[in-house]
Amino acid sequence: MTSWSRRTFITGLLALGPSLIAPATARSAPDRADCGEALRFGVTPVILDNQVGFLNRWSSWLSARLGCPVELVQRTRYQDILDLLLREQLHLAWICGYPYVQQQEQLEILAVPRWHGQPLYRSEIIVAGASPVQRLEDLRGGLFAWTDPLSNSGWLYPHFLLHDRGVDPDRFFRRSIFTWGHARSVQAVADGLVDGAAVDSYVRETLLLYKPALAQTTRVIERSPWFGFPPIVAGPALAAAHRSAIRSTLLGQSSDAAGQALLADLNLDGFSIEHPQLYVEIAAMAERLQLRPQP
Amino acid sequence: MTPLVASYRVRVPLALSMTAVMTATSMALALGLQTLHNLREDQGRDALQLGHAMAGLLVSALRQDDVWLAYSLLRGPDGADSQITWVLADARGRVFASNRPLRYRLDQPLAHTLPAADATSATASESAPDGGPETGAAARPANRPDTGSAVNSASGPGSSVSATADLGAQVLALQDDAAIRRLVHLPLDSEGTRVGDLFAVLSDRPFLARFYEILLGGVLVTSAVLALLLPFGWLWGRRMVTPLVRLAECMRRVEREDLRSLECPVPTGDDEIGQLGQRFAAMLGALSEQAALERRVLQSERLAAVGRVAAGVAHEINNPLGGMLMAIDTYRGRRAGDAGTDRLLDLLDRGLQQIQETISALLVEARADHRTLKTSDFEDVRTLVEPQLTRRGTTLTWSIRLQTASSLPATPVRQLLLNLVLNAINAAGETGSAAVRIDTTVDQLLIRVENRGRPLPPERLEHLFEPFAAPRGQTPGLGLWVCYQIVSQLHGRIEVAAQDDRTRVDVQLPLHPDTTDD
Repeated sequence: MTSWSRRTFITGLLALGPSLIAPATARSAPDRADCGEALRFGVTPVILDNQVGFLNRWSSWLSARLGCPVELVQRTRYQDILDLLLREQLHLAWICGYPYVQQQEQLEILAVPRWHGQPLYRSEIIVAGASPVQRLEDLRGGLFAWTDPLSNSGWLYPHFLLHDRGVDPDRFFRRSIFTWGHARSVQAVADGLVDGAAVDSYVRETLLLYKPALAQTTRVIERSPWFGFPPIVAGPALAAAHRSAIRSTLLGQSSDAAGQALLADLNLDGFSIEHPQLYVEIAAMAERLQLRPQP
Repeated sequence: MTPLVASYRVRVPLALSMTAVMTATSMALALGLQTLHNLREDQGRDALQLGHAMAGLLVSALRQDDVWLAYSLLRGPDGADSQITWVLADARGRVFASNRPLRYRLDQPLAHTLPAADATSATASESAPDGGPETGAAARPANRPDTGSAVNSASGPGSSVSATADLGAQVLALQDDAAIRRLVHLPLDSEGTRVGDLFAVLSDRPFLARFYEILLGGVLVTSAVLALLLPFGWLWGRRMVTPLVRLAECMRRVEREDLRSLECPVPTGDDEIGQLGQRFAAMLGALSEQAALERRVLQSERLAAVGRVAAGVAHEINNPLGGMLMAIDTYRGRRAGDAGTDRLLDLLDRGLQQIQETISALLVEARADHRTLKTSDFEDVRTLVEPQLTRRGTTLTWSIRLQTASSLPATPVRQLLLNLVLNAINAAGETGSAAVRIDTTVDQLLIRVENRGRPLPPERLEHLFEPFAAPRGQTPGLGLWVCYQIVSQLHGRIEVAAQDDRTRVDVQLPLHPDTTDD
């Protein structure tokens, strides 16, 4: 419980940050013209990554604020983005907390999104709205959808949960599939392709804003504790100067009208700087599961 | 009366209407069924094309065990609204993906859900990227029994997808639901190895609504056309039947009414009913003629019988009558009686003479005279009736064309004409008129006496020539009886016709009764 209160304190402190830093960033942006190549920003399905228009607008906004061209790179699988990041093909990426804790030595948190005023989200086990299933145990022998083997909410946490309850996660379901996206997992449950799925609460709720009909067709049966929100991390390829510039740009996004509009599209409040300690629970779960090989 | 339903008046229009209705209905049905067939064919072709388009990606999804990829492909943008039910089975024949995930569950054995799942007719394959299109095709000759009709031009680079050209052979009819279902099967091969099967379950349900719409449209249009056609057909039918109905009405009247007075508008025309009508009219004429003939024969037989009786009675009476008259005469010559006796004898004598006159009037002897007929005889008759004409104020038209010499006796013909003309004048009355026309043909003398005046009732016409046939209140006479006797003895014919106020007597006498008499 102490970690929760500390995190809250830090978050509260840093929430004041953007308003102080943003004007300075805006003024100093034109001075840093030496960007060299375009900044390559990897995006994974930790957000609703199917809104091409939004992504274009966001990259334009980032380019204008940074004074450097920003290129958004999309990959369906977390592993692809992570590989590109580690092989220095990407400068920064928005990834899940789970791959971050696995590669903590090589990655640095640039900013963490704030949702409902907190840099937190959780994992949810969902079933079809008409399903008789009440608890995770009722899904035994059913069909289940994982999001991605590198997803905390869509893989690590439900694995940990089943493991914690003394069940072998690989034998608990008759068959499980990967959908490579939280939104797809919601759709798979809604369509009846699978009996249940584990999804990111932020993605699910944001999806409901765009597709309210899905609210009736899916139902949450279990919720995890709060975890650190998927962070935007810098890879080895990103220079230190760019790191601070990007950080201040992201922190100042909520105080800019256009940036605010983009945040509203994302259903986020803004960005803040968080300590890696935010992901300690994820790291602990990963350790408990002994970083088993990916399927 | 013919019952309404049995009458052609109803049956013909009904038949025409029924024909129109049946034609329209079968047209609408045929159009509907053709549309249904077209819709099915389109659906099958679409499914096959879509299946071929998806084949490559589905093969890689199967090989990489990517259920979501296969599902999202099969689901397409329509989601559950898709008209086609896709089922992708893996090499072990279990459901791998379907756009109906609730019905076709993952890993469910396909044999239970899809009957005749092994019916192969279309083949799709995906060869490995390093192998050419021909490799894939050549490696599986056994899988394609109908290589001849395979369309290889559809193959894309890196994959060889072939399909038979004939769609009909690939469609299996299933009927497990209310709607007819058909199954299109596409085996998915990779480098000659079967990796799975794609099935498209096609149902009529998606376009049943459309089909019904078309059918309803057809029915509505048909009804509209019928609404216009039916009254026309009905009227036309009635028109066709009207002559027949009229003919039937005529035939019914034949039973009830007198042929002579029957006036029936018989249909004429070149068609069958017209011919029937003409034949019927001819038959009616013959019947009427025969009836008239029979009536005439009856009449003359009756008159002959009456004549024989009259002659017999007259002879029987004449003999004693002559004796009695002779006796009276002798008695008077022998002695002169007293005044009382004389008066009695006179009375007897006058009475007996009246009887004798009456008897001799009955006994017409036409051949007593040997003087032959001349034109002056007719003029004499005219002179004789002149006082009568003046007294009654009747106009008489007189026309005589006597050209051929005849051997007819003068006295009977004179008496005949006199009687007829006096009768005519009598019947014409004060305001009426009478006409006499005498003409000759090669061997006949024609006398026609006409008058306008008092109409002659038909019942009198029957007994006109009988003695004392005049009804009560009119002078009983032997005039026409005498005429008839004369004409009969001269081997001629006498006929009376009456129409309204016009009465006409026609007499035909052979000019040379001796030579024509047999």
